[in-house]
Amino acid sequence: MRVNKVTFWLVLGAVLLITWTAFFGLLGIPGANQMRFGIDIRGGVDAVFQPVDLNRLPTIEELESARSIIETRLDQKNILDREVTIDATNGDVIVRFPWKSDETDFNPQKAIAELGETAKLTFRDESGNILVDGKDVTKSVVEKNSQTSQYEVSLTFNDEGTTKFAEATKNNIGKKIGIYMDETLIKAPVVEDAIYSGRAAISNIGTYEDANSLAQKIAAGALPFSLEARNYSTISPSLGSGALNVMVTAGFWAFAIICILLLIYYRLSGVVACIALMLQVSGQLLALSIPQITLTLPGIAGVILSIGMGVDANVIISERISEEIKSGKSTQQAILIGFKNAFSSVFDGNITVMIVAIILMIFGSGSMLSFAYSLLTGVILNFLAGVTASHLMMRSLCKYPKLSREPLYESLSRRIVL
Amino acid sequence: MKFFSFYKHRNLFFMISGGLILLGIIALLINGVQLDIQFKGGAILKYSYVGELNSDSVADFVSQKLNRLVSAQETKDLTTGETRVALELSGEYGMSATEQTDLNTALATAFPDNQLTSVETSLVEPFFGKMFLTKGIIAVVLAMLLILVYEWITFRKIGGLSAGVCALAALFHDLLMVFFTCVIARIPIGDTFVAVALSIIGYSINDTIVIFDRVRENHRRLPKESIDVVADLSIRQSMMRSVNTNVAVTLAVGLIYVFAARASLDSIISFALPMLIGSISGCYSTLCLAGPLWVMWQKSKEKKHNAPAPAAA
Repeated sequence: MRVNKVTFWLVLGAVLLITWTAFFGLLGIPGANQMRFGIDIRGGVDAVFQPVDLNRLPTIEELESARSIIETRLDQKNILDREVTIDATNGDVIVRFPWKSDETDFNPQKAIAELGETAKLTFRDESGNILVDGKDVTKSVVEKNSQTSQYEVSLTFNDEGTTKFAEATKNNIGKKIGIYMDETLIKAPVVEDAIYSGRAAISNIGTYEDANSLAQKIAAGALPFSLEARNYSTISPSLGSGALNVMVTAGFWAFAIICILLLIYYRLSGVVACIALMLQVSGQLLALSIPQITLTLPGIAGVILSIGMGVDANVIISERISEEIKSGKSTQQAILIGFKNAFSSVFDGNITVMIVAIILMIFGSGSMLSFAYSLLTGVILNFLAGVTASHLMMRSLCKYPKLSREPLYESLSRRIVL
Repeated sequence: MKFFSFYKHRNLFFMISGGLILLGIIALLINGVQLDIQFKGGAILKYSYVGELNSDSVADFVSQKLNRLVSAQETKDLTTGETRVALELSGEYGMSATEQTDLNTALATAFPDNQLTSVETSLVEPFFGKMFLTKGIIAVVLAMLLILVYEWITFRKIGGLSAGVCALAALFHDLLMVFFTCVIARIPIGDTFVAVALSIIGYSINDTIVIFDRVRENHRRLPKESIDVVADLSIRQSMMRSVNTNVAVTLAVGLIYVFAARASLDSIISFALPMLIGSISGCYSTLCLAGPLWVMWQKSKEKKHNAPAPAAA
């Protein structure tokens, strides 16, 4: 790549722009202020719900129903920012949601207990009388109507349900029957005809997803178990934000002191190293904020580790350049040879850390994944910032006669030869 | 000019490391390993409170209510002045949210003046603990094995297996130091430990690679020099880099430790302290152990290689 005097300023400009974006956001790109923090940082609930008194693994369908119960209840509590995932191998449902700092009287344990309660599904007439119980539904699945080619939810009732449902539909023709989970109305279809067969279809639902979600909710009424969380953690927002403050303050001071040390020790190479580090830190923040990856405390550990590796790459390069200068080479030559010599160790070091990160992505769970992700992106940024960007800046700077004087690139280390 | 030879002083370093490891083993015998509830199951409940509170009476109260032994510990956040009490329940299992809701109500009634409010709860069932522990161990062991293979291939010119094994020995040394730090400081081994262990694996291996990379380069440049001279030269040449990088890392982690200790945030302290020790140990083990060990290996190989020669002649 051709490098001239302007290159340095182009790189610097790009770094400043990226740094600004990373901290404050730009043109809709979310910055650090819109970072998604894990519950260990902003406070919240992380709970594993398991079936109570079930001596087999729940089926996927049952877990899906269990999830729909929890989702409906979270909606009811107006907790919209949440993760509800199914772990089929262990037969549980994992729920994570933040604890908003303005909710001082929020009781996380009570919320968890309520989420797991047995769902009560009922079919009610327009005046609210319960007509059929959700337990009487044996099957609730999505089907595609062959005539209208629209998605429908097909229900099958047991004997008792068939009788009750026949009675209910007979009395409510042309009226709505409300389907409730707990006290939440989830659907109110209009009865078109009396149904005696024990098989009913709810039409006019919309997309497959809508139909599927409704089918799961109705199936939840017949779920043969309730859920309980005995494996959960809650952290209050004040404790969480304390943790974030510690990390941000320590990070700021560490960065400032490291930059000063680099400037004193490596002079002009130090200036380049500081700019490269700024790029690395900003890139790391963007790698987390753009895809909205949840940043946890171990994730921050990963960021620190990769910034450490970034410092190391810059230190190795600066030392190598200084060594070449002390052996009598010109600045241009020293930069060329220094980078070449430094590259193999920077490369090997980063590849091994990458191995660690990938292993963690495969075997890690929960918060460890955040660590692995920041490590992996950090290593990639290390090559971009520590190697490529530094190289461009150095080669450009030494085109300025005043800035190509050898002593500017000499470190305080002594040259060691045999 | 006379230089300090890392190889010639190897016995001193082996003794220092041996002594530290011995110290760690003694601490291990006295303190034992404390697994985090994350890895074994259990319950820790933290409450903030106001006014004066006798933590023992809280422990007794909870103990009676739940029928489990309870130990209590008071902590204070120096940045906000908030006082907290941490209750650790005996038995390696969690509790249900309903039980805890009842407990919270009971605590509020029994200690009306203290406004006990739940700030942190971790409840882990043993099944999940075992799963996390197994995954953690697999991750650490696999990471080490793959690194060995990678080094074996990269450094095949200077006896790849020996370089890999020596790097691994230095790594193992660092992991032991991190582990002993946890034992001595009574930091429970949890997934934070796995994160630290893997970070140290990354750092330590990176350090060692820089040295071996130098050895490889000097070996190419000075093929006639004896192995210990080349190794010593390489160590001395990369020493300032090792020291400088470590100063930076130690500084960052040290600052985190100080701030976290002030706010008495266990989750961060339990990460920062072992990380601090691990990175210092990583620097030391690279300079003082990995290099000299590798020279010893190469020398013994040379001897074996040379020994049959006179017999044949």
